[in-house]
This record gives sequence, C-alpha cells and structure tokens, in this order.
Amino acid sequence: MSAQRETTTRSERPALTPLTRGNPAALDVFSARLLPREDYFSAGHRACQGCAEALAVRLIHKVLGRNTIVATATGCMEIISSSYPDTAWKIPWMHVAFENAAAVGSGIEAGLRVLMRKGRLPKRRITVVAMGGDGATADIGLQALSGMLERGHKMIYVCYDNEAYMNTGIQRSGTTPFGASTTTSPAGRVSIGQQTWKKPMPAICAAHGIPYVATVNPSYPLDLAEKVRRAQKANGPAYLHVYAACPTGWRLAPDLAIEIGRLAVETGVAPLYEIVDGRLRLTCPTPKLRPLVEYLRPQGRFRHLLSEDHKDELAVIQARVAAEYAELERRAAEDARR
Amino acid sequence: MSEQHPFGAPVTFRIGGRPYEGTYGDSLLETLHRYGYEVPSLCHHEAVSAYGACRLCLVEVVDKRGRHKITTSCNFPVQAGIDVLLDTPDVVRHRRVVLELLLAMAPRSPELRALAAEHDVPGGRLEPDESAEDCILCGLCERVCREVVGANAIAMSARGTAKRMTTPYDAENPACIACGACVYVCPTRCIGLEEADGKRTILRWGRTLPLAVCQQTGRAFTPQFLLEHYAKKLGGLDEKVFRKAPPYR
Repeated sequence: MSAQRETTTRSERPALTPLTRGNPAALDVFSARLLPREDYFSAGHRACQGCAEALAVRLIHKVLGRNTIVATATGCMEIISSSYPDTAWKIPWMHVAFENAAAVGSGIEAGLRVLMRKGRLPKRRITVVAMGGDGATADIGLQALSGMLERGHKMIYVCYDNEAYMNTGIQRSGTTPFGASTTTSPAGRVSIGQQTWKKPMPAICAAHGIPYVATVNPSYPLDLAEKVRRAQKANGPAYLHVYAACPTGWRLAPDLAIEIGRLAVETGVAPLYEIVDGRLRLTCPTPKLRPLVEYLRPQGRFRHLLSEDHKDELAVIQARVAAEYAELERRAAEDARR
Repeated sequence: MSEQHPFGAPVTFRIGGRPYEGTYGDSLLETLHRYGYEVPSLCHHEAVSAYGACRLCLVEVVDKRGRHKITTSCNFPVQAGIDVLLDTPDVVRHRRVVLELLLAMAPRSPELRALAAEHDVPGGRLEPDESAEDCILCGLCERVCREVVGANAIAMSARGTAKRMTTPYDAENPACIACGACVYVCPTRCIGLEEADGKRTILRWGRTLPLAVCQQTGRAFTPQFLLEHYAKKLGGLDEKVFRKAPPYR
C-alpha cells in the first residue's frame, strides 16, 4: 500500500508557473473575459441574493468543463439547484447523503478507472468532484473525506465554507468562527456566541500528504479559476476550501458579499494560499493586515463584539488572526527556500 | 450538400463514426470540446479568432468523397457529412513530432513539458534552443491584445527563424496599458508580470507603469494609465469611481 500511495500522491509533473506574484486581483479587468464562456451551473437557481457560494460553484464548473461528474452532499447547493422538477446542472450530478459525498466521489472515480481499464469506456479524462458545505465537510463527512484523501483517489473535493449550517437555519458548525452569533450559539448576556475556534480544514487535508490543497474565494475569481485548473491537473486528491459569504446567515447586506470576501483576505481572516506537494505559497500576500473590525462591522453575527463589553474578546480574536497569518507567512518563506 | 447551407445552419456530421449535430462554419475544435472530446491545443481561445499556429489540435477529416486529410481542427469549419477521426495513428505521430518541435522552442516551460509527458514525448531528440524566450509563436497574446483589449501593443516581427512576438522596434510601447491579459492567456507563461514598489512591469514587453492606490484599502490595484483608459472609454463617468478598487466602489 505504501508503495502504491507513493505513486498516486507524489506529483511527477513539474510545478506550474504561478500566474502572478502578488495581488491576484491584478488581472481582473480584461482577463476575466478570457474565462470559459460555457456555464454548467445555470442561472435561475434558488440561491439567496448575494450568495457567494453559488457564484463559486458557477466559476468552478466553468473551469472544470463538460467532462465532469459531481456528487453533492446535502446542503444549500443541493437545495437551491435541484428543487423538483428543476435542475441547475448541465453535467452529471448526484445528490447524496450528508456524510458521504467523498465516499460516493471515490466510488465514481474507482468505477470509471475500472471501466476504462476493461475497455468498457473510452479512455478519457473525466474529472470527479465531490462537494459539500462546511457542515458536510468538517463535521458530518470528515470521516469519508479523510478516507478519500488517504486512498489517493484522483479527484477534487470542494468545501463551501459559509461558517454554519445555513440551509437548516444558521446552526453553528465546526468551522463557525469564535464569537459568531448563530441560532445554536446565540450571543447575549451570558455568551458571546460561538465559544470555539474554527476547525482548520485545509491544514487537516494537507496533513494527509495530498498533492494539492488550496483556499479560494469567489471575490478573487481569476485566482479561483487558476487554482481549480491546478486541482484538476493534480496527480491525486485535491482539496479546495471555498470561503463563501452567506448574506442570510451572516446578517450581511447582499451587495457586500464580494466586498466582504476581499476584506476577509485583507484582514487576514481567510488568507489565500495553496499547498502543492507540501509546499505552501501565499497567493495574495498581505504584508499589512487591515484592522479586524472592518471585516466584523458589516456583519450582524459579529455586531455584539463591537460593543464596549467585548473589547477584550475582540483583542484576543485580533491577536489570534495576526498570529495565524504570521505563521502562514513564516511557513511560506520557509517553503520558498526549500 | 454543405454548399447549400448558410453559415450558422444546423448540420449533421460524424465524430469517429457517431452522428452529431453541429453548426455549419463553427470551429471544429470548439465543437469537439463541447461534446466532451479531448483535443489538445495551445494557440486557441474561444474569445478570439482561430489562428492554427500550434498544430496540436490535429484531427483526421474524412470528407463526403471518402478522402482523408489531416488538418488543424481550430480553424476547420464544421460542415455536413464529414467524419472526424481523433487519435488515429497518423494524428498521434504528427502530434508527437509537433510537440518535439514546440519543446525545442520552449524547453523551460513546465506547462509544455507536462503536456509532452502526457503524450509520451520524451523530448531531447532535437537540440533545445537555450537562447529561446520560451515563446512558441502561438500569437494568442497578440490576438487577445487586438481583439479583446483593443490596445494593439504587440505584433509578430520578422520572418522565418527570426520571427518573434514583440513590441514595435523592441521598445517600450505607450499603446500597452499593462492590463496583463497577455500574461493570463500565454500558454507557456513566458511573458511575466511583476508588481513592486507601486509599479507594475510586464516583463517581456518591458512596459512599466505606476499603480493607482485604492482610497479605501491603501493598496495598489491597477495601473493609473489603465484607469484613465477606462475613464476615456466609458466617458462621462464620475472620476471618483476610479479612486477605489472594484468591490469597494
């Protein structure tokens, strides 16, 4: 098994040249017209206004193209795209239970490989994608995801992280950040909301030694497209962590969904990076982080943190965000020398 | 009788013997991609016109009289009654030779080497041109600059072995707005963009422009020149709009 894993997870291909060094938003204007024209996640689905998740799904499938099979766990993306008798999907798509998107994706990938080996299917590059929200990834489906990564299936797992169980009514999940108010971690006189820190999903996946892990954000569409291309080319499992604003659950004005994504990167809350064969590279280095309050202020779920009573907690969160970002910078600098 | 069809009329044709619907005059390569067939290509982009430079998208087309010919599919129109054969032994052989030639032009490009490895091309039969700029003369940057951006800053210069993609007289061209679309589209990533000290440089064209700083974030976001270009193109828009980076406007 160990010898086999070596061949499936170690990328033999030379590393691709990074598109830009520095700001990934640099090329936005004309290069955006060079994204693929065809959409596979069609308009007219039932996402809320300002849903950054739906935007990310659309962009991801634009880039992955037609030869793609998708298995989606229960969650917003399933609810909004497939309410009977309609579908937003123009590619083979399958809704599976909450916990097993990664397992079903693994099965599809293994099945395709066997059919191609037996000659029952023409040899063709078919991208298998398993998708789940943060609940389906970090909480309920973590076991299946870990299995998929460990077995080394050549497929992509996409996690849409909107930091709570949004479609069932904003319950807290493993990735809800410290201090956020949700319906099951309400802020009030006795609590400041969520009591635990965000589960580090990209780090957990990277620890499996897979060839490609990246955090993406639909506020940086070209950076997202580039990372999806790399995930597709990876010689083994790839994990994409999509940081997606949810105006409904975050108590955020829908027109600020893109702006909040940029703010999340510029304040250091959700840095953009990729880990290729264990080497980390920041794709949007932010030498000077903006103050955290700029990110918290527009969001109703953090409103209580801005009051005088919670000044200490706010300082703790700010310090932790800065420390985590400094650690990423340190690791990126170290890996660049390797 | 494809002659009787006007451009844009629906026609039936075959891919590997199986019937498919297409549109007369459409790019065969784009139609193949739309039906999920994999044909490698470096010089084609759906946003710009076909050029047929990289020769990787070779297919074998059998016309109605049964004549076979090998052709590039990007600039071959879909027409009624043809049969398109992919990956026939001839096509595979030709494509390998093309890849070897391309590798000699751009020996350092990881993207090209990855593609060559996929097609079992070891490389090395031809002497790699060490002085090469890793450019394969696909012309994609020039077409994007002309058709998408409308800046016309770069063009092919000279002929034969001296042929190069460059700016006029190899000098910094004031027509270049440093938008970076050529950097984005280049299949071998040989153009390069660098941002440092509030300036952006397109490395290959030697164009350096100062960057505008966003009023909201205090971060350099786009060349000042480019903002003036938009303001002129859009006309009548409040110039305050351009003082902030896009999502903060």
